[in-house]
Amino acid sequence: MPAGHGVRSRTRDLFARPFRKKGYIPLTTYLRTYKVGEHVDIKVNGAVHKGMPHKFYHGRTGKVWNVTKRAIGVEVNKQVGNRIIRKRIHVRVEHVQPSRCTEEFRQRKIKNDQLKAEAKACGEIISTKRQPEGPKPGFMVEAATLETVTPIPYDVVNDLKGGY
Amino acid sequence: MAFVKAQKSKAYFKRFQVKFKRRRAGKTDYRARIRLINQDKNKYNTPKYRFVVRFTNKDITAQIVSASIAGDIVMAAAYAHELPRYGLEVGLTNYAAAYCTGLLLARRVLKMLEMDEEYQGNVEATGEDFSVEPAESRRPFRALLDVGLLRTTTGNRVFGALKGALDGGLDIPHSEKRFAGFKKDDKQLDAEVHRKYIFGGHVASYMRALLEDEPEKYQSHFSEYIKKGIEADDVEEMYKKVHAAIRADPMPVKSTKEPPKEHKRYNLKKLTYEERKAKLVERLNALNSAAGDDEEDDD
Repeated sequence: MPAGHGVRSRTRDLFARPFRKKGYIPLTTYLRTYKVGEHVDIKVNGAVHKGMPHKFYHGRTGKVWNVTKRAIGVEVNKQVGNRIIRKRIHVRVEHVQPSRCTEEFRQRKIKNDQLKAEAKACGEIISTKRQPEGPKPGFMVEAATLETVTPIPYDVVNDLKGGY
Repeated sequence: MAFVKAQKSKAYFKRFQVKFKRRRAGKTDYRARIRLINQDKNKYNTPKYRFVVRFTNKDITAQIVSASIAGDIVMAAAYAHELPRYGLEVGLTNYAAAYCTGLLLARRVLKMLEMDEEYQGNVEATGEDFSVEPAESRRPFRALLDVGLLRTTTGNRVFGALKGALDGGLDIPHSEKRFAGFKKDDKQLDAEVHRKYIFGGHVASYMRALLEDEPEKYQSHFSEYIKKGIEADDVEEMYKKVHAAIRADPMPVKSTKEPPKEHKRYNLKKLTYEERKAKLVERLNALNSAAGDDEEDDD
């Protein structure tokens, strides 16, 4: 009989629970709240059968566009042929984790606001733009001794005696 | 042969998955907990309160708890060991005491939230099924009963506490099926019987029965009652007074405890990360200086 292409085909390992993490899922997954506009990672939890997304979305990150009683609507980009479609799916909260992709941005925002406020207080003008790492500066090499290394001419007689 | 085979090998331990800590301790039923705590996502941060009732051998604990990621937060708590303050000194874990504890917690919570004027609840305990009616301004305080690992049989003391909280004015979804006095044959709650239990009538009738038939057992079993001078007929009056006292002043008393004494330390105190690094630097310096001295000596 041929393999079949059902919704959960080829997910034997993908949806499997990790080693020694089977059984009841920790309660923080149920206690987290999600607001519209937040970024979330989709990671399927094989222990909960309801509200599972299709295997394509496992590992994708999207934005929340809807919040219902037990599930969240997530908008994920999917490439179909020659274009990218924004797909809207509903996923139960057990298969969703808050994403850290915007964490660095949010922290930088806070820090920059702080720096700008301080600069305003002093009257300085600062730029909070990120600069890429430039080429390394030049430096003097201290206390270096020069050792010239040249190859020694091949001595057939001696070498053969050693390892023959 | 069987002796050797019974060993748990290293492979067994390597693959062993422990249950959650509180499950190993046998204290939390996670299946029930998940269902009690789960809040609708479109209600965001609205807390879902649980009316937690737990019994120990000598005490009853009733709490209003809401869950959070950092840990559960107890909004208010009432214990049976507070009941002596209201005039109940004996029988602190019976059905009537559970009723008093539930009532105390309900009045306490409502007073904390300043809803106690609106929601008086059932002042006269009749044993009938009573549910709070929503008043004009605020909706009643809603909590869900959390029994823990108890077997919910008809007439269990936990439902006595539930009745106390209901009569106190909390909104707890319930059915009268498990109150003491529910007849499975008629499928009806006998309010008279329930009222008897709320006022300790079952204890009183046992006292009367023992007094007639086995006076020595009465002396040993109800010794505390005898010491306090409580007879079978006084029991109902006593509970009525306790209910009234609870409704009059439900707020808890802050007890002042002295700070605990310092004990002599018998084992070494664990060093902090900084202290350990400092120690290492010291040792290295000592080593270096010692090595320096040796070299000087050699030279």
